[in-house]
Amino acid sequence: MTNSGTKNKVLWAIVTVLVLVYALFPVMSILATSFKAPSDLTSGTFLPSSGTATTSNYEQILVGDAQGLFLSALRNSIGISLIATFIAVVLATLCAYAIARLDFPGKGLVLTTALAVSIFPVISIVTPLFNLWRTIGLYDTWLGLIIPYLSLTLPISIWTLAAFFRQIPWELEQAAQVDGATTWQAFRKAIVPLAAPGVFTTAIIAFFIAWNDFVYGISLTSTETARPVPAALAFFTGASQFEAPTGAISAAAIIVTIPVVLLVLLFQRQIVSGLTSGAVKG
Amino acid sequence: MATSRRAPNTVKNRPRAAALASILMGTLLVTGCGSGESENTLTWYINPDAGGQAAIAEKCTTEADGRYRIETSLLPSDAASQREQLARRLAAGDSSLDIMSLDPPFVPELAGFLAPVPDDVAEATTENVVEGALAGATWKDELVTVPFWANTQILWYRKSVAEAAGLDMTKPVTWDQLIEAAEAQDKELGVQGTQAESMTVWVNALIESAGGSIVTNPEAPSDELELGLVSDAGREAARIISTIGDENLGGPGLATQNENASLDLFQSDSGSFMVNYPFVWPATVGAVESGTLDQALVDDIGWGVFPRVLDDEAAAPPLGGINLGVGAESDDPELAYEAVQCIVQVENQAEYFVTNGNPPSNTEAYEDPRIEESFPMAPVIRDSLQDAAPRPQTPFYNEVSTGIQQLWAPPGAVDPDTTPEESSDFITAVLRGERLL
Amino acid sequence: MTSAIPAPQAEPTSSPETTPSVKTRSTPEKKARPQYSDRVRAERRLGWLLAGPAFIVMLLVTLYPILQAAFESLFQFRLTTPDEREFVGLGNYAVILTDPVWWRDLGTTLIITVITVAVELVLGFALALVMDKALRSIKGVLRTAILVPYGIITVVSAFAWFYAFDINSGYVNSWFDWLPGIDENTNWFAQTGTALFVIMASEIWKTTPFISLLLLAGLAQVPGELTEAAKVDGATWWEQMSRVIIPNMKAAIMVAVLFRALDAFRIFDNVFIMTNGAYGTEVLSLLAYRQSISRLEIGLGSAVSVLLFLCVLIISFVAIRLFKVDLAGTQGGKS
Repeated sequence: MTNSGTKNKVLWAIVTVLVLVYALFPVMSILATSFKAPSDLTSGTFLPSSGTATTSNYEQILVGDAQGLFLSALRNSIGISLIATFIAVVLATLCAYAIARLDFPGKGLVLTTALAVSIFPVISIVTPLFNLWRTIGLYDTWLGLIIPYLSLTLPISIWTLAAFFRQIPWELEQAAQVDGATTWQAFRKAIVPLAAPGVFTTAIIAFFIAWNDFVYGISLTSTETARPVPAALAFFTGASQFEAPTGAISAAAIIVTIPVVLLVLLFQRQIVSGLTSGAVKG
Repeated sequence: MATSRRAPNTVKNRPRAAALASILMGTLLVTGCGSGESENTLTWYINPDAGGQAAIAEKCTTEADGRYRIETSLLPSDAASQREQLARRLAAGDSSLDIMSLDPPFVPELAGFLAPVPDDVAEATTENVVEGALAGATWKDELVTVPFWANTQILWYRKSVAEAAGLDMTKPVTWDQLIEAAEAQDKELGVQGTQAESMTVWVNALIESAGGSIVTNPEAPSDELELGLVSDAGREAARIISTIGDENLGGPGLATQNENASLDLFQSDSGSFMVNYPFVWPATVGAVESGTLDQALVDDIGWGVFPRVLDDEAAAPPLGGINLGVGAESDDPELAYEAVQCIVQVENQAEYFVTNGNPPSNTEAYEDPRIEESFPMAPVIRDSLQDAAPRPQTPFYNEVSTGIQQLWAPPGAVDPDTTPEESSDFITAVLRGERLL
Repeated sequence: MTSAIPAPQAEPTSSPETTPSVKTRSTPEKKARPQYSDRVRAERRLGWLLAGPAFIVMLLVTLYPILQAAFESLFQFRLTTPDEREFVGLGNYAVILTDPVWWRDLGTTLIITVITVAVELVLGFALALVMDKALRSIKGVLRTAILVPYGIITVVSAFAWFYAFDINSGYVNSWFDWLPGIDENTNWFAQTGTALFVIMASEIWKTTPFISLLLLAGLAQVPGELTEAAKVDGATWWEQMSRVIIPNMKAAIMVAVLFRALDAFRIFDNVFIMTNGAYGTEVLSLLAYRQSISRLEIGLGSAVSVLLFLCVLIISFVAIRLFKVDLAGTQGGKS
């Protein structure tokens, strides 16, 4: 027993290391690159050559030349993603509540639409959206990105939340009402605490999706007023027009990965349950 | 929201939901639309540089003494994306496009969206401007943009390699000589073989140097455009490119080699000759200062005019750079042109060269003593600019260029007997709307 | 599988006659309802009131643009020459479908889709098994690690893989030069095969966590008694897998495959960053982008977009009909 236990432990240690390497190696790779000096980029090594490691790439994008470009993009990314997440979660909460809780004709239609929207090729709607946006003045604005982001975040939010809401014991609400609470009180006291974790999880997943967008970002913006980070990466240059911006891009890539890692570290359990309950309830 | 589940009074609910939605959208609109602008603010869309254009904007704002204020706004780093952004905004009738930094090849396509250059401005800003830059600023014999700075490639060489190969670098050399020398010395040539705009730059320079043109009637409408690829010049260009590709003379990374990568190759032990822009000089000197390269390398570097294709005809070096255009929808084109005149002042051009490495289009600027100090090869650059040939000045440049990139890269796949004809047929079909790009 | 009710097929109409059939399927209040037809009506109104905004937003941001694209695909229209707009009927479609470029890009896209999904399925299943069987103490570590690629920006992933393999800035060549075919001069992005390899590696790395989480959920649904019974019967690990676990996860696997396949079919970011479509790596999304955004040929670009959309529809339709993937049913809905 103890023998096989030790063996098991070793086996699991190996497996864990393998999974960690798989999941984190590319991140480590770009992290190492972000500390390379421009002239060290061609060294062909993973780590910066000894003694040449530098934080100049971070300085360039945070306090240096590319500061305006990167910081405004970061602000746009955070703002737009948060607002898009918020709207998506609000709309999806209402919608999922109705789906999980109420009977109304067309429920299937709503669900099917959500599915259809989620498989939509983003590139197919970029051109018409671009034309529409420039006509009505939404081109290169926050709202001009928030609306299309809803097409990415709404469907998955609706499924995830509908799945969560189905698991909520709604009898509690009725029980509270029997006990003399008003409908609103019953809802707030009995249901909100149960539903909140699901809503929160959905928000994280929706945020990741909005944060990840690239196609809308490069197609529907053109200045610092609305350009998000993934699109801004294409605007970096080296010391001059023709020099490779490898270092600056790597540093920016690391900075935008930090929120992702933090969210994952803090909420991995919720994210996993959100992703799995929403998609497959076999 | 869920309060009213019990009551059928939806009449009350609907307006409430609508009100909520509109409040939400309203706040978004307010937060989404950026800052207000004062009346005399001019927006200058600049290509990314080392901060030089922003500095000039600041300087001119000060000089204007309140008449106008120039704000800069950044464009993407590669020329094709710059054009995409500008074309889309211009077509959308965006009035914030006061001043734009334009790459010459895209001038014809955007010419229709630009405010005409006033005669006095045209006169004042074209004096002493190099031929190549003037050609790049013109469309249908009319000046539509103001030349700002002009870029060109020159030949950079390692003196040691040239000497070992027995080349007399005081005289212009030909591509064949370079190929021979690199082969004999077992070295590699620094050229740009990646599938990108730089490929068109190379092909165009070769064809122009051989006395041909990629497009023979650049002002024609799309379905009447005639290409000069199937010609002796086109075949010569293909022969040079394919030889470098086939004989592996461009290094292992040739097929993805851009300007920066060819500099890396040139700085390495296998470096020999390279065609490239002036940025290589400050980049190399900077690397020596930071200790990653030897001073001996810098001492070994020589320069001359772009290599010839035919030994009895002067080369036509590539032309790049930036012209300034003023948007037709700008609120105040006159003011914008006043600012443009300030921007392109001779001393600004000289300063920009010294600080950012982008050569002036005005020959007078080269007399600034600081230039000789930072760029000892400035006279070669100036002379090259006089001979430089712009890329095809057609509104359909994007199609022509992308078509060339797709069929002339990688260099190893180029065949002098077929590539000119195939690319010519392909581009013609694309222009007639018969093919996808 | 027990649940999986094919929800959308039972498309309820708005006429009151259908109410009974809908009603009988809902559980909590069905006893009370028949007496209160007012209440039924109120509930329906509320239902649409709550679901409506999301529904309308979804329609607005997708249905409207695709209809506009369908309309514009009938014109020859270049953004920079708006006066020369010309009706060409289905001409743009004829140009696209007779062009080898379309078929080449379709082929490339399909290759990427098939290979990435196949690899992700195997890798994702392995990861799901690991997470399922892992001890409590390391479960959290494993899940956290796996979620990093899930949450990372695709563009960042593309740059990470690009810089690692790039002949100038990469270290892969010097690390793996002992492998046949790799040496310091291997230019990964100069040939179709090797370039696609790196593109797919980035895609697989980033999206395998998603598939493995879906499969993990599927694993959790396999009734424990069945596996136990198989163990008692002396079934080997492989037999347990192939006879009990995998058949019982079929629904989860199908959903995972379909979702990933449709996602992979729309691949754009990785290709755009790494090669921009050079050397035979162009995919359909990039083709659409090139026509409408780079060339500003709105008509032709819209036609490519519409065709791309049709491809996605066909794939979903075939998958749903052929493999009976029950998407909406997985909601376990009571619609």
